[in-house]
Amino acid sequence: MTRVEEILDQVGSLSPLPGTVLRLIHVINDPQSTVDQIVETIKYDQAVTSEMLRIVNSAFFGLTREIQSLHDAMRCLGTVKVLQLVMAVHTNSLLCKPQKGYGMAPGILWEHSVGVAIASSLIGERIGIANRGLLFTAGLLHDVGKVILNEYVAAEFGEIARRVAELKISFLEAEKQVLGFAHDEVGGQIAEKWQLPEPIVLGIRYHHQPNALDVPDTVVDALHLADCLCLLLGIGLGADGLSYRADEAVMERHGLRESDLEMIGAQVLMEVQRVEQLFGEHPSTGESRELCAT
Amino acid sequence: MVEVIDIADLAVTNEPQATLVTHSLGSCIGITIWDPETHVGGMLHYMLPSSVISPEKGKAKPAMFADTGIPALFRAAYELGAVKKRMVVKVAGGSSLLDDKGTFNIGKRNYIALRKIFWKNGVLIESEDVGGAVSRTLRLNVGTGKVTVKRRDGEVEL
Repeated sequence: MTRVEEILDQVGSLSPLPGTVLRLIHVINDPQSTVDQIVETIKYDQAVTSEMLRIVNSAFFGLTREIQSLHDAMRCLGTVKVLQLVMAVHTNSLLCKPQKGYGMAPGILWEHSVGVAIASSLIGERIGIANRGLLFTAGLLHDVGKVILNEYVAAEFGEIARRVAELKISFLEAEKQVLGFAHDEVGGQIAEKWQLPEPIVLGIRYHHQPNALDVPDTVVDALHLADCLCLLLGIGLGADGLSYRADEAVMERHGLRESDLEMIGAQVLMEVQRVEQLFGEHPSTGESRELCAT
Repeated sequence: MVEVIDIADLAVTNEPQATLVTHSLGSCIGITIWDPETHVGGMLHYMLPSSVISPEKGKAKPAMFADTGIPALFRAAYELGAVKKRMVVKVAGGSSLLDDKGTFNIGKRNYIALRKIFWKNGVLIESEDVGGAVSRTLRLNVGTGKVTVKRRDGEVEL
C-alpha cells in the first residue's frame, strides 16, 4: 500500500462520531431548530447529560440554585452556550491526545481548537454570520485532519521542517509535498465521511486557503481569520509554529482592520482561559507544554 | 522551582532556585529582566501593543499589553530592590505568519511598541531573538541570569 492509500485507509477506519454529537451538529446547523429539539437530541445520552450538569453546576458559573435538567441549563445559560459546552465536552476526548508529529503535548490541539472555535464565533458575529453554533463546531473540528496525519508527520518531521526552512514554503505545502496529503485535505475527507453539514466540510477543507474557492465563503473566511489569530497569539501552538499563509483579501472582503483583530484576540484569550478553567485543565501550566518534536 | 508565565501574565522573584518560563510565543513578546546585583529576575508575556483598544482590559489584565505590561514588570522588580540602570533586558517573540503584508502583523507592532517604550525610558536591550514564523519558549534562570530561547531547531542562549 502506498502512503497515500494508507492515509486514506486510516480515514476510512476512523471511528464514527458518536450519534448524539452528529445529530446535535445537524440540529445546530438548522436555524429553525427549537430548544425542545435540542434537548431531545441530547437527553438520551446519559454521559453527555451528566457531564453537562456537572459543568453547569460547578462553582464557575456561580448559579445560586442547582440545575437539574438540560431545559433548566438552557434557560439559565442560553442555548448557544449550552450547545458549545456539549461540543467542547465531546471533542475533548478526540483532540486532547498528544500530537507528537506536530510537537503538541496533551491538551494543546484541543486548546487550539477551542481558541479557533471561540474566535470564529466572535468573528462571525462581527461579520454578520447568524449561525454561531455552526461556526463554533467548525472551529472545534478545523484541524481534525492532524489527528490522522500526526504519525506520518512524526515520521517525516525532519524532511518537512527542512523544506519549510529551505524552500520558504508553508508547513501545509511541505506536508503535501512529502506525504501526498495536507491536514486540511485529510480533515475535509474525515468531515465527509462523518457526513457533517456541507458548510463545516468546506470550512475544514479550505481554512488555510480561502482563495482556492471560486466563490468566497463566509464560514471559510471566519475560520481562516480565527486560525491565523490563534496562531499569532500562541493559543495552542505546535512545532509547525506560524508557518502558514495568511490571506489578507479576507480582511478586506469583510471590511476588517488590524484593530478589529486585536480586539477579538483580547476577548478570545479571556474566553479560552475561562473554558480551560471550566474543564479543570490548563495545559500551559507545567513543563508538559514543552514542544515534543525533534 | 519552575514558574510558568501564561499568555498575558508576568512574574518577578528573587528566589535563586527559580526558573521563569513562558511557552508558545508567536507574535506575542516575552521580556526577561534581571538585576545582577540583587539577583531579582522577572518575565512578561504580552500579546498586544496598546491598551488603547480596551482600557478596561488594560486595567484588569495589564500584562496583556506592552504599554501597561512593561511598566508593571519593571515596577514589580523595583519593589524587590532591583535598579533600572543595572537591569539586563532580553527579548524574544514577535513572529509573523507567511505572506503577511501588514494586516496580520501583530508581531511587528508588538516589537515597535516595545522599542518606543524602551527608547523613551532609556532602557537598552542586551540581546534579542525576534521575528520569523516560529514558536518560541523563553526561559530565565533567576539565580544566574542565564536566558535561553528554544525553537523547533533547538535551544540557544540569548
